Amino acid sequence: MKPRESLRALAVMVIVAMVLVACQQGESVDVGDAGTTTAPADEGTTETTPTDTEDDDGEEATADGGTLIAAQGAEPDRLDPHLTSAYASFQILENVYDTLVQPGDDLSMEPALAESWDISDDQLTWTFHLREGVTFHNGRELVADDVVYSYERIMDPETGAANAFRFESIESVTAVDENTVEIELTRPTPNLLVNLGGFKGMAIVPQEIVEDGSIDTHPVGTGPFRFVSSSPDEGILLERNPDYWQEGLPRLDQIRFVQIPDPTVKLTNLRTGEVHWVDSVPPQELESLEADDSIVLERVPGGDYHYFAFNHAREPFDNPDVRRAIAMAIDREVIAEAAQFGAATPNQTAIPEGNFWYHEYAPFTPGDVEGAQALLEEAGVTDLSFAFMVSSEFPETVTQAQVIASQLEPLGITVEIDDVDFSTWLDRQGQGDFDAFMLSWIGNIDPDDFYYAQHHSEGGFNFQGYSNPDMDALLDEARVETDQDARKALYDQAAEMIVDDASYIYLYNPENIGAWTPALEGYSVRGDNAVRFVEASLNP
Amino acid sequence: MTGFVVRRIGQMALALLGVSVIVFALIHFVPGDPVRTALGTRFDQEIYDALVRRHGLDQPLAIQYFSWLGSAARGDLGVSFRSGQPVTGLVLERLPATMTLAGAALAVALVVGVPLGVVSAIRSGSKLDYAATAISQVGVSVPDFWAGIMYILLFSLTLGWLPPSGYVSPFTDFVGWLKHLILPALAVGLVSASIIFRFVRSAVLEALNQDYVRMARAKGLSRRAVLFDHVLPNAWIPIVTVVGLQLGFLLGGVVVVEIIFAWPGIGRLAYLAVGDRDFTVLQGAVLYIAFMFLVINLVVDVLYAWLDPRVRYD
Amino acid sequence: MTDLVQESEPIAPVAHRSRFRTTAETVLRNRLAVAGLAILALLVVVALAAPAIAPYTINEVDVANRLQGPSAQHWFGTDELGRDVFSRVIIASRVSLQVGFISVGIALGVGVPIGLFAGYYGGRIDSVLMRLMDILFSIPAIVLAIAILAALGPDIVNAMIAIGVVYTPIFARITRGSVLTLRDAVFVRAARSIGASDGRIIGNHILPNVIAPIIVQTSLSLAFAILAEAALSFLGLGVQPPNPAWGRMLSEGRGFFQQAPWMAIFPGLAIFVTVFAFNAFGDGLRDALDPQQRSVIESRGKA
Repeated sequence: MKPRESLRALAVMVIVAMVLVACQQGESVDVGDAGTTTAPADEGTTETTPTDTEDDDGEEATADGGTLIAAQGAEPDRLDPHLTSAYASFQILENVYDTLVQPGDDLSMEPALAESWDISDDQLTWTFHLREGVTFHNGRELVADDVVYSYERIMDPETGAANAFRFESIESVTAVDENTVEIELTRPTPNLLVNLGGFKGMAIVPQEIVEDGSIDTHPVGTGPFRFVSSSPDEGILLERNPDYWQEGLPRLDQIRFVQIPDPTVKLTNLRTGEVHWVDSVPPQELESLEADDSIVLERVPGGDYHYFAFNHAREPFDNPDVRRAIAMAIDREVIAEAAQFGAATPNQTAIPEGNFWYHEYAPFTPGDVEGAQALLEEAGVTDLSFAFMVSSEFPETVTQAQVIASQLEPLGITVEIDDVDFSTWLDRQGQGDFDAFMLSWIGNIDPDDFYYAQHHSEGGFNFQGYSNPDMDALLDEARVETDQDARKALYDQAAEMIVDDASYIYLYNPENIGAWTPALEGYSVRGDNAVRFVEASLNP
Repeated sequence: MTGFVVRRIGQMALALLGVSVIVFALIHFVPGDPVRTALGTRFDQEIYDALVRRHGLDQPLAIQYFSWLGSAARGDLGVSFRSGQPVTGLVLERLPATMTLAGAALAVALVVGVPLGVVSAIRSGSKLDYAATAISQVGVSVPDFWAGIMYILLFSLTLGWLPPSGYVSPFTDFVGWLKHLILPALAVGLVSASIIFRFVRSAVLEALNQDYVRMARAKGLSRRAVLFDHVLPNAWIPIVTVVGLQLGFLLGGVVVVEIIFAWPGIGRLAYLAVGDRDFTVLQGAVLYIAFMFLVINLVVDVLYAWLDPRVRYD
Repeated sequence: MTDLVQESEPIAPVAHRSRFRTTAETVLRNRLAVAGLAILALLVVVALAAPAIAPYTINEVDVANRLQGPSAQHWFGTDELGRDVFSRVIIASRVSLQVGFISVGIALGVGVPIGLFAGYYGGRIDSVLMRLMDILFSIPAIVLAIAILAALGPDIVNAMIAIGVVYTPIFARITRGSVLTLRDAVFVRAARSIGASDGRIIGNHILPNVIAPIIVQTSLSLAFAILAEAALSFLGLGVQPPNPAWGRMLSEGRGFFQQAPWMAIFPGLAIFVTVFAFNAFGDGLRDALDPQQRSVIESRGKA
């Protein structure tokens, strides 16, 4: 990649006070049209250089911001934000689409397409005021009807949008006028903003590309970059949206996403300069990268978590004591070290330290084989053996299963590892055809994302079959509790209950890791793993 | 001859039909389905049912198959479950990459295998022959995917001479295209070279021992003239066969090498389609590979007959 | 290709004992074949004695000792979980040999009878059986094996079945090809004229005369079956972790190129040596039994 002359200086980083909107009641938030861009948090790159404040009217797209070559480890499946569930697709769509609101750098929800909103006193009506003058990449202006159309499309079961569940508490979405959308709720929903804008799966799309069927192959959004082309040999090409609603952004001319499945090869491409950015780094390479000045490595504690769960419908795992015995016997430190080479924090709960919703609770001594033995004896369980369902598609699950198998051996427990392809994995999980499975959850923001669907007896992802009326009551109450501290207290109880009953057996929170060339500025690894190049630029 | 070709084309169509039945049946025995896979862990029964209905997956298998077959007969191979893109497009997009790799590997194989085979046969029993035979024995025994990994380790990661994987179009960056091509072409080509070497060597040896060759030598023709006028023309037949078979294999079968080098070819497409249960894509990719394979076989047989009048058709 | 019949002279029945002796002599004169045979013998001994020879338990995780280079304690180094690569490589030889033998056994057991019947009876049976074989043959081997394994679930037995199915058409073709040249041979016609049953003719007269190319193909197919097993386990199908298989060790080693190249080098060498041994021996056999040398293309074409 030959370095290019950057004609433009860095744009002003308008640092607007963080608007903590998520939990304030009945309050209108208006941040004006300055937008809410915050300086990237990485080491000392927060210099604010004066920018040429020319008006972005399309013609100055010649400003040479360069072409970023970004390497992703997986291939996007489809580019319809409502239908894809692939992280690789969202890495691209993050830069093409917008949501009404979006997580800021600290993951609190910030205005995006909606500039402000009001909440009725009964918490059941939310009125969103759209930013004016936003256009789709096809030139058409964004109007309230587009929001209504997008949301109705997601909610319609016929669409098959996996995120429909996030709209569960929505009664109706209506366009009050061209720039106002009203959402009626069936129950108070303190995490509505996260549900509407937690990630680009709830993007606002123009109706015309759905109707002509091009949404899967040629997305048209309102985001900082517009889609140009996609091919197996050239990757996916995005170009600067000159009419983007955040003034002075984006800075890059183009982004080319290339797909390199092998992590080692991907990193080699970064080292040799074939690509500027990689979406992940094999943890075993961290040590050598830390010492490498020619590559910027950023490690950020993330909200993801790794866990495993037993099938509560199968004996003896219907007995919480048996599950807890296994949770006691394992040594999370060793598991995290083996799989992530230290780039993870062992955690007996789901939510990582540093997060507002973190609750310190670690009742188990690592590797407590004796305690586990005692529990198992009490439960009258001997000669325990189980099949552990993992998938090579997530190679760390295979590694971890081997470590866990070795840690349970002293208890006389035989672990048979079942490494199946992920389609089979999902199918068997859905059918309840497993003894135990292991996976991770990524990108959760609100505690409701962490707990409800996974541990409520009616929860959509409660494949382990955990059923505890106390848990159901707690989670039902917490999801409508609008007082933040009261809400946290409820979730703290839930967190302890999950650990005690070993509904999930949590292992650790991995760090989110990114690596790129020092020439790339204005980019940082986010806690929610969203890949946002809106403020990025390439230095010559 | 024409009758033979027509009959063979008919049989080919039947074989392709059979391939499609087998692929269809197999993929439906596999646990998991494209809809569940597409939904990922975020699963919801109502949405699942809606998608299943939309894709017609709630229909009986026979009906699904025949409706696929109906549109396939009109040239429409359907739409990928995973990406929503037309299968024909997906396959055609990957055609150049696969053909490039197959062609380059075959070129490597011919350039290395044929001359070495001829020389080895002429100097049969010499040190050169012995060494070449031993090396070819090594060549057919090296797993191509391991060779690929070792090349990446050596030429990309250690020496930094060549890119470790990927593909660029020759029209945008010809040198880059060539650089990306070398390692996978070598990984596959050297195996083929070893096989072709062995066939060329034995074909030439056999031809050298024919009476008419001995006769020609006895009549005092130069070695060179004997070689080019009498030996090679007769050695062509088995060589054409092996080259044809190798090409058929290369065009479809280098799945693992395509995976290692992230080569956007048909083999990798088929492999990923199994993982996604994307059976329209799997059907398309496998049918394409089978088609190429059968066409090449047909061409080989026709050539065979043309080169060797002793062959009869029955 | 299956419709082409070369006009070749039907071979007369052979006296088996003398043929065995000449074959053995020819093979033993071939230095590569002898080397192959010696390696094979060693491999079988190692595989049988592996649990006793292996210096370490193969599945014990020792994270503190991971990614150690080759040393006196760990000849082939340790892997990413601190397991001894040497122990794992020799234990994995059992898997490779087992899968090789059994899957080729399946291909042999299914393919040879199909070839015999198709060749002997000809006509419609022949057409139907051989078209079926053509269909199987024209699906890329790895894709077919992957699909079969996905359907049956990845484990070692299913890997054997998948590879066996993939190689069946080769045996059917080779057998049929040889039978065709014999169907109207004088001694077969003679047997028929004295009223021998079809089963008897096939078993007593045809099979012994087509056995040579089948034996050669068996030996070569073993090499390719081991390659195929390695490729499948490289893709995560086949033997399940933590139990070692060469292909899987190789693919795990890929992630540790820079830190621990030995993780990928030694299992790969093991595959190579084993395949080489079968190939070298198979070639020696072929030179002795089937000088037409038809078998390799057919099989490697499907590798």
